Amino acid sequence: MKKGVLRDFLILLGIAVLLLLTGYYLARKIWDSGADLSYKVSYEQEDKLGEGLSDLVLKQFTALKNRTADSALDQITGRLINALDSSRYRYQFVILKSDQINAFTIPGGNIFVFSGLIEFTESPEELAAVLAHEIGHAEKRHVVSRLVNELSIAVLLSGLSNGDPSLVARILKEIIGNGFDREQENQADQFGLRLLERARISPKSLARFFERLETKGLDYDESLELLMNHPHNSKRIDQARRFKTKNDFQPVPFNIDWKKVKKSIKE
Amino acid sequence: MEYYPLPQPAEIPEREKEDAMGAYLMMFAAVAIGLPLPIINLIAAIIYYYINRKKSRFIHFHSLQSLLSQIPTTVINWGLVIWSVGILLRENWKLTPEFWGYAIFAGTSTLLYFVFSLIAAYKARQGRMYYFLFFGKVAYEAAYKMVPEKPGESSEPANKPPF
Repeated sequence: MKKGVLRDFLILLGIAVLLLLTGYYLARKIWDSGADLSYKVSYEQEDKLGEGLSDLVLKQFTALKNRTADSALDQITGRLINALDSSRYRYQFVILKSDQINAFTIPGGNIFVFSGLIEFTESPEELAAVLAHEIGHAEKRHVVSRLVNELSIAVLLSGLSNGDPSLVARILKEIIGNGFDREQENQADQFGLRLLERARISPKSLARFFERLETKGLDYDESLELLMNHPHNSKRIDQARRFKTKNDFQPVPFNIDWKKVKKSIKE
Repeated sequence: MEYYPLPQPAEIPEREKEDAMGAYLMMFAAVAIGLPLPIINLIAAIIYYYINRKKSRFIHFHSLQSLLSQIPTTVINWGLVIWSVGILLRENWKLTPEFWGYAIFAGTSTLLYFVFSLIAAYKARQGRMYYFLFFGKVAYEAAYKMVPEKPGESSEPANKPPF
């Protein structure tokens, strides 16, 4: 091959690589700026939206009134909330009657746990791990960000101001029906793992929970969508398993009879 | 290494200029027909090249340059098609920044290619050479390089006048 031809080829290859990198850089920039639009919604607006959605959730599902389960949930969430450095939210946790193995966060720090999830977990630490992950979504304002992305700020704010029930229902559908993106799940995982460590709960509980969930997910269950909605779950499990705790970290087990809690839910 | 002399615009018949321009313009029509599968343009370019290359070195050069320069963008766009189908089938349309980055790359490459093809078509219509980076040299080499005679082959013409 002639020297000039080879040089041209290398220049062309260089231009292609440069274009590819520029394309990726631009996409990443646009993606990142679009991913977090939560700043467009104030915390006051978020609280108001959360109230409307919370009412709707409680109309669609039945809240489980069970002293044993509530007390266990209080103990678990109390440890997690105390471990938060500071939070804008006043967290509320509600157990809903449903076989779905799921939990979800709505704006305003409202977190709902399906009874199916509690029945699926093998220890209070596993439930704590899922809740820490959900708190991560709340603290990072992922739900608000996603809503703004999906429904546009105008639609969302009109829903907030006039409380249009059909719009609120649409917003709820968006929250329960669609998952977070990979980056948001990763952020929530990392937040949850650090929170677990601070609450002196073993971060490995998240890996254990995910592993069992993945095994169950082999015979595909739509209820797993929210917690395990990515093809990169093995990476998430791996990250949770490898999470480095401080050298002096000592987990403190919960003083909860988990079998009794699970039994009380079935009743 | 010797090359055939390059014809000057005034020496090239109008018909040849049009055929050379057609090598580039034909690609636009073929791309439009072939969407979303970027293959028809390449097939059309190959056919166009084999039909027209014997007509003259000028047409040979332009149609080969058009054909060769389509290969990278075709491959890049095929990558985009395959990636899109993969996302559709396996990830339920979960688009990632990596995918969008590649889509921007494919779109920009195709756009650049279109712009340069239009310039080349315009130049060809004027009877002028226009060399793309890399592909221009390869096409020139193929169209204008003198091929040395093989041993045993005579340069004597087969037909000779009677006196």
